[in-house]
Amino acid sequence: MTTKEEVLQYIKTLAEQKVLTREELDMAYDGGSGIKTDVVLTKKLGISEILYYIGGAIVFLGIAILLYQNWSTLGFGTKVLATLGAGVAAYFVGLLFSRDERTETAGSAFYLISALVIPMGLYVVFDNAGFDASSYGSQSLISGILFGMYLLSYVVLRKNVFTLFSILFGTWLFFSLTSFMIGGGAYFDSWKFYEYRVLVAGITYILLGYAFSKSERAPLQGFLYGFGILGFLGAALALGGWKPNQNVFWELIYPGLVFGALFLSVHIKSKAFLTWGTLFLMAYILKITSEYFSSGLGWPLALVIAGLAMIGVGYMSLSLKKKYLSA
Amino acid sequence: MEIIKKNITLVLGISIPILMILFVAGSIYLPGLFIKPHFNFLYVSGDDYYYNYNNGQQYSVQNDRLVKNEIKQPENVNYNPPRGESKLYLYDVTKNESKEISFVDAQNLNLDSGVKSPDDFEVVYGSRDDGFFPFFWGGGTDYNARYLKGHNVSKKLNLQLNGSSYYNNFRFLGWIK
Repeated sequence: MTTKEEVLQYIKTLAEQKVLTREELDMAYDGGSGIKTDVVLTKKLGISEILYYIGGAIVFLGIAILLYQNWSTLGFGTKVLATLGAGVAAYFVGLLFSRDERTETAGSAFYLISALVIPMGLYVVFDNAGFDASSYGSQSLISGILFGMYLLSYVVLRKNVFTLFSILFGTWLFFSLTSFMIGGGAYFDSWKFYEYRVLVAGITYILLGYAFSKSERAPLQGFLYGFGILGFLGAALALGGWKPNQNVFWELIYPGLVFGALFLSVHIKSKAFLTWGTLFLMAYILKITSEYFSSGLGWPLALVIAGLAMIGVGYMSLSLKKKYLSA
Repeated sequence: MEIIKKNITLVLGISIPILMILFVAGSIYLPGLFIKPHFNFLYVSGDDYYYNYNNGQQYSVQNDRLVKNEIKQPENVNYNPPRGESKLYLYDVTKNESKEISFVDAQNLNLDSGVKSPDDFEVVYGSRDDGFFPFFWGGGTDYNARYLKGHNVSKKLNLQLNGSSYYNNFRFLGWIK
């Protein structure tokens, strides 16, 4: 009987010889431990899966248009049945379909319908109850209910699709709740406050992506890294402002943030970090040259310098991708 | 403790937005507990020149006292809208409510017509930040809401108005010294 240390040493040797991949090891572990791999969001999307999701989105559009065109003629009961009723039904159809491996992806398309239609149903209910359904107070309640519902669904059913919905509705809750708290007498500049919130949401997405990278929720990593770094770098660039109302702190710290993202792209092997890092570095070079050097050196010379810098950035990005991120 | 250590990035990721919510709540509600406005103010509602075309009177503050100015409208036989009546109100900042006051009583008040009160508060319009996730657009002015603002505190005013709450139906007259 071989000991655990011997097995691990053997795996190490196989990995050094590139005979064994991480995926094969994960599959062997999952097979032995009885963990059922969540096929939804794990395997690559084929034509049929894409059609499932497009179908789900079209069902949502159909219900939305029905409601929009007949808002004044439909009664409350019909509206609730068409939205909340359809959403809850889609959720249970999803539950039934996801019990069988063959229909599991179709099941997640029904979950998508439920996630799109239930908010509309809650909007109808709130509107009928006399609340201003588009106010931030109502939006906080709607997003809070949905966040709780999908988080609970994840805890019970352990499906990645519910993690994704929990994150999306959690983000909606974060934005609407903070807007509700600020109200109308804000001391904050509403645009700046919005930028800070996007920055925080971006950091959260990146951290969640990293936390999920070593678990069965790893398929969400790409989505979280992509939107996380986009929100983070985009908000930080916007916080820098524009002359004469620029914020020197954000303008000075920004190159550090971008190079940090590029460095991390190698460390965490993320193409999203590399792509967005490169694009935002280019945007920063253009912004700074047009903001500060267009009058001193002259606009044409500033453009030449910016162009050369962008060629350099593009070359660096390509080399990094070839050297570290190519599979 | 071991679980937190093991999932430190997850814990950090979840706690950052929660901390921001707490920070926002703290920065809104905490200053209001310690900093309170002290000066009540006088305002008039319903004396908008254009809306209440023929009301014939307008209040102003001269030498720290309230005065009533008669306005003579040009005679126009073709246009004779109903006369609107303007009303004076005293706003109590501690109770956060306003009550109507007669011109005779208001004349006895010692008023400061400056925009800011002696303790650095001012009456401003609210701001509006609209949208539905993920689309938010901010920076608008909410002309239907007014706030008492100063020292990083803003308090929504519970104003009584003479008629509808359209934006010109309120005119600040002065702080009561």
